[in-house]
Amino acid sequence: MTTKAEFLGRIREQVRRTPARFSASSARRPEHPAAEAETIRGELAERWPETLDAFRREFESVGGVFYEVASVDMVPATVARIAHGREARELVTWHASAIGADLTQALEARGLDVHQMPAAEPVAVAERERLRTIAARADLGLTGVDLAIAETGTLVLVSGAGRPRSTSLLPPCHIAVFDRTALVESLRQVGVLLEAWHGDGTPPARGAVINFITGPSRTADIELTLTRGVHGPKEVHAVFVEQGIRG
Amino acid sequence: MSSDELATPFRQRADGAMKDTFLQEALTIATTKFIGLRREAFAGFPEGEALRDQARAIKEATLQELDRHLETLIANVERLGGHVHYAATPVEARSIIVDIARRTGARMAVKSKSMATEEIHLNEALEAAGITPVETDLGEYIIQLAHERPSHIIAPAIHKTKGQVAELFTRELNRHAAPDPEALTRIARGELREKFLQADLGITGANFAVADTGTVVLVTNEGNGRMVTSLPRVHVAVMGVEKVVPSLTDLMVFLAILAKSATGQKLSVYTSLVQGPRRAGELEGPEEFHLVLLDGGRIAQIGGPLREALSCLRCGACLNVCPVYRQIGGHAYGYTYPGPIGILLTAMMEGTPAVKDLAHASSLCGACADACPVRIDIPRMLIDLRREVGDGKIAPWTERVAFTLLSRLLRHPRLYRLAARAGRLLQRPFAGSGRVSRLPLFFGEWTRTRDLPPMASRTFQERWASDMDLRA
Repeated sequence: MTTKAEFLGRIREQVRRTPARFSASSARRPEHPAAEAETIRGELAERWPETLDAFRREFESVGGVFYEVASVDMVPATVARIAHGREARELVTWHASAIGADLTQALEARGLDVHQMPAAEPVAVAERERLRTIAARADLGLTGVDLAIAETGTLVLVSGAGRPRSTSLLPPCHIAVFDRTALVESLRQVGVLLEAWHGDGTPPARGAVINFITGPSRTADIELTLTRGVHGPKEVHAVFVEQGIRG
Repeated sequence: MSSDELATPFRQRADGAMKDTFLQEALTIATTKFIGLRREAFAGFPEGEALRDQARAIKEATLQELDRHLETLIANVERLGGHVHYAATPVEARSIIVDIARRTGARMAVKSKSMATEEIHLNEALEAAGITPVETDLGEYIIQLAHERPSHIIAPAIHKTKGQVAELFTRELNRHAAPDPEALTRIARGELREKFLQADLGITGANFAVADTGTVVLVTNEGNGRMVTSLPRVHVAVMGVEKVVPSLTDLMVFLAILAKSATGQKLSVYTSLVQGPRRAGELEGPEEFHLVLLDGGRIAQIGGPLREALSCLRCGACLNVCPVYRQIGGHAYGYTYPGPIGILLTAMMEGTPAVKDLAHASSLCGACADACPVRIDIPRMLIDLRREVGDGKIAPWTERVAFTLLSRLLRHPRLYRLAARAGRLLQRPFAGSGRVSRLPLFFGEWTRTRDLPPMASRTFQERWASDMDLRA
């Protein structure tokens, strides 16, 4: 077996004796990502209505369904309408602390079976298994959103405690709730925010995966016929809360 | 690649493909559609050209310090609790992965689409070790059930009709399947969902790896990449060493052009940034994360003639625009990577003799270089490969003698004029129709698939000389 030293040694030797093809540099990384991220946030705070319009246009063009409600109290009614439209009853949701509002009671009052994912990691393997079984059979998955990218109509979800990866993946219908604090304009801005999140090099408190979701799961592998929902959700709904989720 | 298939000469494989009428139609429809989608995506994206230049510069800059970037990547993956392995050859890569599977007691492995694992023929090795590999990309699943190989980098089953897929599902899955893409997809969803939930091991490639943060990036449309990295206990990612990029800022440059080049989407549906195993507090995610770094002929090309091919993003854009690929499809190439870039990658991985025929499977029209998001000069490297094939006495002797003679003629004007005069006489029996469409002896190889224009009755120099006389 090749050792690390041998392997890297071969690469080092090649690199050492190979002249550059042309003078080139990688992308300029923000020097102070956190500060630049703040600046971007500040600018976006003034332009959010245009950003939202652009997001909506792109999100709909990739097959997403967009809703706008005035306040977070109106989210459960929207979710219930989506559920009733497809005879769905069982819903898994990120923990209230991860979404920014506790919608469980209001959703239950509208006839949904709500399974709220725990805020902390369950100790017992059996409990883990049980929660996974629920996510696998649920009709609806309800999550928050960390970033909504206008350029591409993309929802960015960071995994972590109370925010399982499977909520936006296993149920056939994903509903994401967001407000203006998540809106960004471009992939370039996302780059700065990602750099800021990874900041000082210590592993952050969040989970190990950042997912960019651009519309429902799709394939065109059989005769190039576009088909939705091959592994992930067949439907993605985004609910924008105008007054903010955390009030 | 089975040795049976390779025993068939390239020309016969290509002939076979050109006689397959369904394949011909499927290739035309698919490649034309991809070309249009790509064009539209870039038409609405004025900054695209500048980003392509930047992407190319990032790849070159990264190669200039590849050792340092890999060291950073390795340190970060390990800091986050992942394990890094080093595979000089496909054999080593296979044994590393089989060892991980055995040690963790894995019986079934779910895979998301990965050219690197195709390249190392991982599935055969897993099966031999008693571990069932399950391809989960719909196209890959279809060809795995059919015991075939992918025919396109991003659309592996474009050579199959929905009728063939329905028959395949009916036979292999014991389920009545109608020839309807929607219904077939639903069946696959059900079958594969079970596998995702049961599998112990998830195996992926990597579209990119970010050195700065120890992040492996997976791009899929179906969501299988997310399943494979979220549900099984162990995640193994296999990547060629050239896939590393320095920072997240660099990554965003590539994401902005990758999907546009591949399918014309602004972004693929799912882009997952995976940073090591499950963290404290997480309900899901693997307990173990392994990154297998693969050489497989790449390292020698850092300073080699195929260096530029190390920038390839595996988007498939060069396949779609290639007049040869559009005629013969992916299988006829005979190796894991088809199309213009595939010829270069095959030379990189298998050595130059493997591409003695393939090096000529290009019209050198340059469409591939135009389509490439990182502007790889594929035609230039193909010409270099042809020269190497010639110099290395790999080409047939007739071809070598013919080209040696031609080069001598072209360098000696008097000899050339003499030969031109002789040629005008000798061509008479063959140029009756105004075209030379059949030459005798081994020259017939040249005219088998092409017509030659006959030599003019007067050369340009003769005409020029007589025109000068007239003017004077």
